Amino acid sequence: MSTATLPRTRSRSRVQAPKNPRDYVRIGLWIALAIVMVIWAMPMVFVFLTSIKSEADIFSTSSFAIPGAPEWQNYAEALATGNLMTAGGNSLLIALVKVPVGLFIAAAAAFALSRIRFKYDTLILGAFALGSMVPIQVALGPLFKTILDMGLLNNPLGVILPYIGFGLPMQVFILHGFFTQVPKEIDESVRVDGGGNLRLFLQFILPLSKPALAALFILDFVATWNEYAIALVILQNKASQTVPLAIQSFQSQFTSSYGPLNAFTIMSILPVLIIYLLFQRYFVQGMFTGAVKG
Amino acid sequence: MTKLTDTRFTAQPPAPRSRPHQKKNLVQRIGKGGFIASLPFLAPALAAYVVFVIAPMISAVRLSLYQWSGYNTDPQVFVGFKNYVRLFTQDPVFWTSVQNTVIWVVLSIIIPTSLGLVMALALNQPLVGRNLFRSVFYIPGVLAPIAVANMWRWMYNPNYGVFSEISKTLHIGDGSGVTFLSDPKVAIYAVFAAFVWQIAGLNMVLFLAGLQGVSKELVESARLDGANNWQVFRNVTLPALRPTVVIVMVLTIVHSIKVFDLIVGMTGGGPAQSSQVLALWSYTQSFLNHDFGLGNAVATVLLVVTLILVVPYLIWSTKGADDHR
Repeated sequence: MSTATLPRTRSRSRVQAPKNPRDYVRIGLWIALAIVMVIWAMPMVFVFLTSIKSEADIFSTSSFAIPGAPEWQNYAEALATGNLMTAGGNSLLIALVKVPVGLFIAAAAAFALSRIRFKYDTLILGAFALGSMVPIQVALGPLFKTILDMGLLNNPLGVILPYIGFGLPMQVFILHGFFTQVPKEIDESVRVDGGGNLRLFLQFILPLSKPALAALFILDFVATWNEYAIALVILQNKASQTVPLAIQSFQSQFTSSYGPLNAFTIMSILPVLIIYLLFQRYFVQGMFTGAVKG
Repeated sequence: MTKLTDTRFTAQPPAPRSRPHQKKNLVQRIGKGGFIASLPFLAPALAAYVVFVIAPMISAVRLSLYQWSGYNTDPQVFVGFKNYVRLFTQDPVFWTSVQNTVIWVVLSIIIPTSLGLVMALALNQPLVGRNLFRSVFYIPGVLAPIAVANMWRWMYNPNYGVFSEISKTLHIGDGSGVTFLSDPKVAIYAVFAAFVWQIAGLNMVLFLAGLQGVSKELVESARLDGANNWQVFRNVTLPALRPTVVIVMVLTIVHSIKVFDLIVGMTGGGPAQSSQVLALWSYTQSFLNHDFGLGNAVATVLLVVTLILVVPYLIWSTKGADDHR
């Protein structure tokens, strides 16, 4: 009997929508994913819960116990004692200057490398590619001296310039990949009409590349907001601190005031979280353009 | 990070090859080609890149041959390879850093990559709440590493941290709570766990992108031929994912070599320099010990290691472009 029915069920499951056995696999998969997700969310939840607990609650209750009355005082204390507002302003200023300027410069270079023919363009592209892979820390010492000689220590410009330099390789590379996909026929028609490179770049290539530029803008904003090593070396006084520096100095100053400490961490990651939630699709898009199509 | 796919410089069958030539003539006729025409577009990028990236790197190699405190008022004294001799023979922390960097790179190309792949394969299925899963896995990747370091430092707190509580609840250990970060044997792995948490989701997104390129027809026809899940994965999905796998590997290696913030934030390289890595040791020597010679010697080692790991990929990807087009 079994030999007679077995082939039938098989052929059925092949042709029609999969029934029971595959559903069980799917449910198992879903449960496994849910467990991993709980583990993955745990650090965030734990930090948030600590941030709204009073000191007594932190010391006496379990890690994941939800406090009866949230202690928002931690946030006020973190804001009052930490340097978050100044640092946030600095970080915002740096990112809002660096990202558009850097992206425009990168786009111009990618344009030259993909649309204007000259002898050493692959070589230059290769040099940019290489630069995107070398760790920043290799250049940290001499970079400090360069900025010192320029008189830009503790000045937002002192990090904006190196950020542009270090952001370029990746962006040039990604945009080059994107620009080469724009049909070359556009170039011909612009040139036949008597338009030059500038017109081709500003009026055609840039507008056509909006999706890639938007994705890179978001990714670069987050990367700039999060950067630590260069800022650590260049921005040495409290007034010029960026958010990552403020997090670290708050941490070393108030080692054991756990409530405000975690409130500080939550507040510092809030802008990036909001950006992620608002522009989620750009993150994925950016990775797509950057990694796979190119 | 992409493959070098410059179609103009690749071997081509005659037909597509003749077209760029036509364009070249057109471009030259109108006089808009050539290096001079490209300069206004290229110059700002090249200037920023050379002044703030290339020159400091060359300078690092040069300074590794000098003795210098890093203060402009102090002289730079040429000492030849003395810094390297000191580094290789008299600096035990250097070797710890090398060892930890190697451990980090090796673990990174195994753990967060396979985790990311598994997450991507699972989430490539139609599932309820798929976007929530994806977001939760990915979000750690957008946080500042220094913030992640502080979150994990709190989790590792010996008295009130999550891990201590778990160990106390389950009666693991002597009941004194976990002291991962202050244990020289464990510290580097404890920091690495935070790295996995942060980076697995990034790899997942890259793999998900790569999975879009796997032909559905091919998977379906393999299924019809009676292939089971593993056979489909092994013979259809994995070969199609190969370019993605390479990119993920390279990105992971690059991320691992420059790991810095997490270690500064969680252990500062300690206890007793047991969790030092090359990137941080270079900084420590230059800026905290005011020994720019030694610090830049470490930086030069870091540069050489990076080039050894990355240049083959660049050559491969340029060649790969030639093969495919």
